[in-house]
Amino acid sequence: MNLAKLFKPLIVGTALTITLAGCGSNQGDPKGDESAAQPKTTENQEVNIYTARHYEADDELYKNFTEETGIKVNVVKGKAEELIERLKREGESTQADLFVTVDGGVLANAKQNDILQPVTSDVINENVPENLRDVDNQWVGLATRARIIAYSKDRVSPDELSTYEDLTSEKWNGKLLVRSSTSLYNQSLLASFIELNGEEQAQEWAEGIVNNFARQPDGGDRDQAAAIAAGTGDVAIMNTYYVGLLANSEDPEELKVADSIDVFFPNQETTGTHVNISGIGLTKHSKNKENAVKLIEYVTSVEAQELLSAANYEFPVNPEAAMPELLESWGDFKMQELNFDTLGEHNKKAIEIFNQTGWK
Amino acid sequence: MKTQLIRRNMKKEFNGWWIISLVGAVVILLPILFIFSSIFQEANENWLHIRQYLLKNYVANTIILVVLTGIFTALLGVTLAWIIAAYDFPLKRFFRWGLLLPLSIPTFIAAYTYRTMLGYTGVVQSTLRNQFDYQINSEWLRVSGISGAVFIFTLFLFPYVYLITRAFLESQSTAYIENARLLGRKPLAVFYKVVLPLSRPAIVGGIILVIYEVLGDYGVTSYLGIHTISTAIFQTWFGMYDVNSAMRLAAWLMVIIVGIFFLERLLRQGRRYHLSSKSRPLVPVKLKGIAGIAAFVYCGIVFLLGFLIPFIQLLFWAKMTFVKVWDSTFITLVYQTVFVAVISTIMILVISVVVANVSRSHSSFSFILSKIVTSGYSIPGPIIAIGVLAIFISLDHWLAPVYSKLGLGEAPLILSLSLIMLIVGYFIRFMATGFNAIEVGFEKTGKKYSEASRMLGIGMTKTFFKVDLPLIKGSLISGFILTFVEICKELPLALLLRPFNFETLATKTYQYANDEQIYEASISSLLIIVISILSVVILQMIGKKVKK
Repeated sequence: MNLAKLFKPLIVGTALTITLAGCGSNQGDPKGDESAAQPKTTENQEVNIYTARHYEADDELYKNFTEETGIKVNVVKGKAEELIERLKREGESTQADLFVTVDGGVLANAKQNDILQPVTSDVINENVPENLRDVDNQWVGLATRARIIAYSKDRVSPDELSTYEDLTSEKWNGKLLVRSSTSLYNQSLLASFIELNGEEQAQEWAEGIVNNFARQPDGGDRDQAAAIAAGTGDVAIMNTYYVGLLANSEDPEELKVADSIDVFFPNQETTGTHVNISGIGLTKHSKNKENAVKLIEYVTSVEAQELLSAANYEFPVNPEAAMPELLESWGDFKMQELNFDTLGEHNKKAIEIFNQTGWK
Repeated sequence: MKTQLIRRNMKKEFNGWWIISLVGAVVILLPILFIFSSIFQEANENWLHIRQYLLKNYVANTIILVVLTGIFTALLGVTLAWIIAAYDFPLKRFFRWGLLLPLSIPTFIAAYTYRTMLGYTGVVQSTLRNQFDYQINSEWLRVSGISGAVFIFTLFLFPYVYLITRAFLESQSTAYIENARLLGRKPLAVFYKVVLPLSRPAIVGGIILVIYEVLGDYGVTSYLGIHTISTAIFQTWFGMYDVNSAMRLAAWLMVIIVGIFFLERLLRQGRRYHLSSKSRPLVPVKLKGIAGIAAFVYCGIVFLLGFLIPFIQLLFWAKMTFVKVWDSTFITLVYQTVFVAVISTIMILVISVVVANVSRSHSSFSFILSKIVTSGYSIPGPIIAIGVLAIFISLDHWLAPVYSKLGLGEAPLILSLSLIMLIVGYFIRFMATGFNAIEVGFEKTGKKYSEASRMLGIGMTKTFFKVDLPLIKGSLISGFILTFVEICKELPLALLLRPFNFETLATKTYQYANDEQIYEASISSLLIIVISILSVVILQMIGKKVKK
């Protein structure tokens, strides 16, 4: 076997691969190179975020933050659970300073996985009331959405509505709409019932809901609203955030849908309405801790909170911040009072109950 | 005696080509082995729960979905390929190319588009309601469940079967078809007795690509509310926070894939498919009267449903949201998407050609090799991502002493924060797309030419550049198109493996669509579609030049 025969293709192949990989690392990511080089020279000029919130409003906030402080914000967007997995695997070497996500259950999970660390800042404590912060200060609330009952203005009177539990009663048989149990929103809703009412009642509730389905769960929250307008069902469990999106749609047909429904905050006399909280936490191995805390302080400020609420139809966590008209028109409501950690603790049980009751 | 034989065989086959192939295989195999290692860990109670309540249902749904999609894409793809290859009718030249366009629309975007379009607020129902005062039962038009998914998969994945079968029929089947025609066979008989048996490897190759796509899909099935093994992987991982059970499911998925492979292998055992060496183009027969119109209508309907209607719908939505959504960052998105796709595609093709060339020897070792390099396609993106991430982070830790010597700081993450990680992810995931196209190319040219060249004393490498490469140029081009378009459309890997501040068009689309902002997602969707189409056009032009 002659050597040339052995090595010629090998050399050609390796050379090609190296050239390509070289291209990939050098030109492919001008910004990436910058950020990789920066921590050494300009350590205090940036902050790195892993976020599961993919909203334009958030990008806007980060931009404003950079303009105000000169601190550059680098972002990786992904699914929350994937980002948690990534943070776990990166361990001490991680470049991420902050972790941002929607839903208390996920935040509790991040905490359980030991990827966050407590933040103490008087500014933050002043901006965000205690019930919207983690009990161990490992994350801070960013915005909330209420999981409410949307009902047909034509066919349902708000007097008929009272609680989540009431939705399992006979009168809603074949009239109730809700999305699939794979949605985190539903998982956290059920997890909150497990915490507040116990496992047995939560299971009964899920069974009752499945009994009253107007159709098999299908589509997202917006689809449930459209199904009310179409007459498939009369009431739907959905998030206020999506009601906001519908009511501000570019599509006249969606505006009609938004017009045909109204919002009811359930359990006001009892346990309170369930909310999904978005939160921001400092990673355990953050390299730019000071900048990260500054950013949390900024995003919870009145100015940032008003911007977020106006653009994204979420309730601000800062009580001083003004809300857009639509949210204002719904008035104050009573929130569920619980430790968000419990949502994470009961998530698995919730999924098991969904699977057992056949909530698709 | 036996060891001598083995040693001789090894000597005969072991060379630089093998080394490159093995390196490629190792890169692909490491993350996959990482996944498989989960099987040997003890099952936890989550797994028991999954097995008790869900597994049967997941497997059943997956199989139904695969079988139905397989059948319908084969029906659509093969009949269209045959009509286009063998006949002439109005606008045929346009359809020949236009029927590839559905491939440019990512299936998850197609699902969003069709569902919204046919939904209560969509154009169909609102027109009926507002213009004709007729409210159709909106449940009838609902795109959901298995039927909805099969509808979407069939319409937007059939071009895999169509493309490969058509290419085969046009160049390889001439002698047989003309003989059959000369001997007085009716067109239908020619189709059943000659075309179908002859083009089986091509058809199967196409269907296997479709099946991979369906098995790995998360976007469409989760959106339409179907539980498959693939969605279960997500739910176990993200819902139960149980990576091990998720990987166990992924391993099961791979078992199914391997099963499909062996089944196919078994069915075609002993048959050789190298065909006539003279690859004369097939001369189409002109269809007259009703037959011509029927062919035109058939192609036209598929083209309308699979491309034009959703495309126009997206244009409308883009117009509606343009002012709100458009800004100059879209230009950057286009650049980044194309850049990473081109680099990855070239890498995939280089390694594909090497491995495909090596595995032409049809030894069992080369068979295993070719299966290894293509196995990534069958694994859902997020699972690959976790495997790749794990490997890269340990690589970074391993290289830490080197980094600190270079003055990069203590234990930093260099590789795992670079674009290389994403490119490797693409490489693993889409190797099969490039490889299968090239393998078909080698299969249809047979080994005659290269054997002749080797007999005449020319080495493997020289033979390859002088003889093989020019012969498979067509396959190279179609391999490039398929892989490039796939990467432009890819989502989960891009989401998880990209470096800071790096977005592609697909991740941008997902950002909106995931948030139920379908209208806002239309601009980035359109850009993906336009890039895919342009790549097809450019490569087609290159292809024509090459032929001349």
